Amino acid sequence: MKTFLFILIVIASGASAGLILGVANLVFVEPSLDQATGIENQHLFATGEEKDTPEFQIKYEGYRTWQKSGQMLAGGILGISIGSLFGIAFALSRNALPGKTDIKKALVLAGIMWLTIYFIPFLKYPANPPTVGDPETVILRGILYLSFITISGFGAVGFYKLSQKLKTKKFIAIVGYVAFIVIAFITMPENPDQITAPVDLVNHFRMMSAFTVSLYWLSLGLILGSLWTHYKPHKEITSFS
Amino acid sequence: MSQSRQINVSKNGVPVIAIVVLAIIFAVGLFVVGFDQGHIFSLVYGEEAFQDMYIHELTHDMRHAAGFPCH
Repeated sequence: MKTFLFILIVIASGASAGLILGVANLVFVEPSLDQATGIENQHLFATGEEKDTPEFQIKYEGYRTWQKSGQMLAGGILGISIGSLFGIAFALSRNALPGKTDIKKALVLAGIMWLTIYFIPFLKYPANPPTVGDPETVILRGILYLSFITISGFGAVGFYKLSQKLKTKKFIAIVGYVAFIVIAFITMPENPDQITAPVDLVNHFRMMSAFTVSLYWLSLGLILGSLWTHYKPHKEITSFS
Repeated sequence: MSQSRQINVSKNGVPVIAIVVLAIIFAVGLFVVGFDQGHIFSLVYGEEAFQDMYIHELTHDMRHAAGFPCH
């Protein structure tokens, strides 16, 4: 395999999909974030921590504009980060993935990884808008979320390895993974924070969040698959006389 | 007369160096966007970085939107 080319197309596909995520968040998620930060401001005014003055609004708008600009930067970084994991998984599993083309193989893997390390953890610990999280519990919530992703991800790898040994009875491994996840789902602690924000806002935010992250995974599969098809980093040119 | 030829060869092996580089990028990127609470800048600015949480604030909207726990 061409090492440098492989790393390059993995980073390029991750960055591209991450920028798509950033743009999608600006369009679909930011309205909910603005609404939620507006509620946070109302709490600040009600408790007397801040006063609703033109100076405050100017400062707040400037701060929010800066934070929104971070969507693109963070999208690029997160895109490359998750894309790197995806690239490793794709390179290691490419020959075993179903599909006749690299695009189809990449889409299949993107679907599996979306399900196991994003959507299943999302069902247990769904995204929340500002106003919901308690700063005192952020480390605990981080540990819980990361733990569940790790459990689900390594569980999927473990049961995949088991399916290779079972050969004709592969469905047993799928049933085993489902049972494993159900047990993890029940035994892992709940998010300790109470939801005090309006339910409609929280639900809409979660739907938009799930939509844009799902769009990222779809984009990642398509872009990496396309770049792999075009540049073929797995093929090496060998000269002989 | 000698003749030079080229052929394309598929090799299944994934270079370890590539896996290591990408694994580091994955871990660092995930920490920056999803979990940093001032830790990275504290290496330069000390305890003050935990109060400012510059990276946390800059990645704030993505943190919420991508499902990471935030304040």
